[in-house]
Amino acid sequence: MAVTAKTPIKVRRRNKSTSAWGMAWQRFRRHKVALVGGTMITLFLLAAIFSPFITPYDFSSLQLTQRFQAPGLENISGAKCVRDSVLFWECGVHPFGTDDLGRDLLTRVFHGGRVSLLVGFLSATLAILIGTVVGATAAYSGGVIDSVISRIIDIMLSLPVFPLLLILSALLIGRDLPFGQWLEAVFGSGKTVVVIITVIVIFNWMATARLVRGEILSLKQREFADAARALGGSHFRIIARHLLPNAMAVVIVQLTLMMGEAILIESGLSFLGLGITPPEVSWGNMLSKAQGFFFFPNGIYTAVFPGLFIFLSVLCFNLLGDGLRDALDPRSIRK
Amino acid sequence: MFSFLVRRILQIIPTLFVISIVLFALLALKPGNPIDEMRLGNPGFTQADYERLTALYGYDQPWYFRFWKWLGRAMQGDLGPSTQYGMPATQYVFQFRLPNTALLSGLSLFFAFIIAVPLGIFSALRQHSFVDYAITIFNFIGVSIPIFWLGILLIFIFSVVIRKFLPAGGMLTPGVDWPDWALLGAQSSGWLETLSLYLDDVWTYLVDRGSHLVLPVFALTFLQLATWTRFMRSSMLEVINMDYIRTARAKGLIEQKVVIRHALRNAILPIITLVALSVPILFSGAVLTETVFNWPGMGRAILQSIVESDFNVAMASLLFISLLILIFNLLADVAYALIDPRIRYD
Repeated sequence: MAVTAKTPIKVRRRNKSTSAWGMAWQRFRRHKVALVGGTMITLFLLAAIFSPFITPYDFSSLQLTQRFQAPGLENISGAKCVRDSVLFWECGVHPFGTDDLGRDLLTRVFHGGRVSLLVGFLSATLAILIGTVVGATAAYSGGVIDSVISRIIDIMLSLPVFPLLLILSALLIGRDLPFGQWLEAVFGSGKTVVVIITVIVIFNWMATARLVRGEILSLKQREFADAARALGGSHFRIIARHLLPNAMAVVIVQLTLMMGEAILIESGLSFLGLGITPPEVSWGNMLSKAQGFFFFPNGIYTAVFPGLFIFLSVLCFNLLGDGLRDALDPRSIRK
Repeated sequence: MFSFLVRRILQIIPTLFVISIVLFALLALKPGNPIDEMRLGNPGFTQADYERLTALYGYDQPWYFRFWKWLGRAMQGDLGPSTQYGMPATQYVFQFRLPNTALLSGLSLFFAFIIAVPLGIFSALRQHSFVDYAITIFNFIGVSIPIFWLGILLIFIFSVVIRKFLPAGGMLTPGVDWPDWALLGAQSSGWLETLSLYLDDVWTYLVDRGSHLVLPVFALTFLQLATWTRFMRSSMLEVINMDYIRTARAKGLIEQKVVIRHALRNAILPIITLVALSVPILFSGAVLTETVFNWPGMGRAILQSIVESDFNVAMASLLFISLLILIFNLLADVAYALIDPRIRYD
């Protein structure tokens, strides 16, 4: 009885038509590499958020007797810690070693992940949001508005972007920007984070705007857009409810790739000293002094671990973006 | 085509004007000016000196006023002196920095191109094979790796772990008694005679220069390689499935001829455009590479001039790069039209 009752439900489920997102999820699930990428990013994010609870050290407390410890699971006197304790390195073990001031590298890398990932997520989201709105507006309005916006995009795309990023962050660092206090209150991060996010957003919305513009231009010629217009939908409603959802695939992929890109830009700026400045920690600024530590024993680990985390998180975002592209756009040829 | 060219070339002038306004404003609004730099290194510098010099050099005036004056001189080809290096900004940028960057970028462009094209073709022809996957993984690594981290690891491996195997940075080994012609910024006159006199030195000089180039060129090439291979591969994949390729194969041509004479000719077009657009980016975008390898090129000149408030050097190098971008954009468009007869500009 129970068996016969179950069987029709199963059949009904299988026959139930899956939504477009459901199908995309089915395709995405088969993309093992992208799944690994997504999982890794989630782990990095969790490590960053819960960093104070994971390690017993403080990210900024100095221990000058413990400079340049080698990575490993033994403490300074060579004693191994008891493995079955939860915080098994509580007895002075530094799994990633320590830096020039004896600060635990694992703690700093996890803590630096807060700023780096925050910059990645926020600046990518903002840049993509602006790009989408600008691109959709241009394509939907057409005429003068479209040609002005397209011209601005063209000019901004032909600027020397990286030098301009340098100038703009040199210009903005040390100033109070709107939302700065708000961001500080919510995420506990300082002014330079706001500066870096602003700078990245200013120079990275154009590619998305161009892509979205192209998508909307072709979408608005389609029958369903005519139908929406004929039903008397307002311009906003047509864009937001009919056109943009169909362009979402492009936007989501772009968002994922942009997060990796933003992390790379932030780390580059911080490495050059024009980004996140100490005492705040980011993966990029942890690397900026690393070249001076080459000839200290174990000095290289101050460079290895932060860089490895930049590399892995950007790689994971790229893999995720690739998987999402395949999943969301069935027309795209499996590369 | 001719009227298109004229129009595009004429468009460069107003665009460059707008860019120079934006650059000048951004630089002038940045905190710090050359007088601050003077005060930093001089304990005897009084407040009175500061005010007198600020007024003398005009840094107390609003930026648009200074821009107007700068523009007037710039129109006559005078981009002003460098405040840090005691020579005209143009001389510093074009004689001391540009050649170094041209050498570094030129070599890495060359290597990236001659490696990426065959790699992309191979990857496309053997789609879904083991080698294809390996190349794809390599591409993902290339686009994701922060170049300065790669540089730091390279330096650590090749000049710290393997002691003095390759130099860690710079362009020439310092402390060696190099003849005048070998030194950076030496007068270039009479180098031919010197060349014949010091053939031995020339050899050591070339080896030294070469060994300093290996790591930075490798890092920059690696960066370009990933993007270009990916482009080459997808462009090749697109072409290789076309009807005329099947026709060529049906005619009984050998595969090598089909690939090189028929497919490659069409597949390489987008790559040539991509390469053209990469040139100006390499000239400015090598800031990180040049910093890690301590290479005195344009990128470092831009970074230093921004940090040290050396406005004239910053303007000269940034305007040069903007001009380069505009010219190469135009070249890419023209090349497209020349190679692909379907594209017409009129």
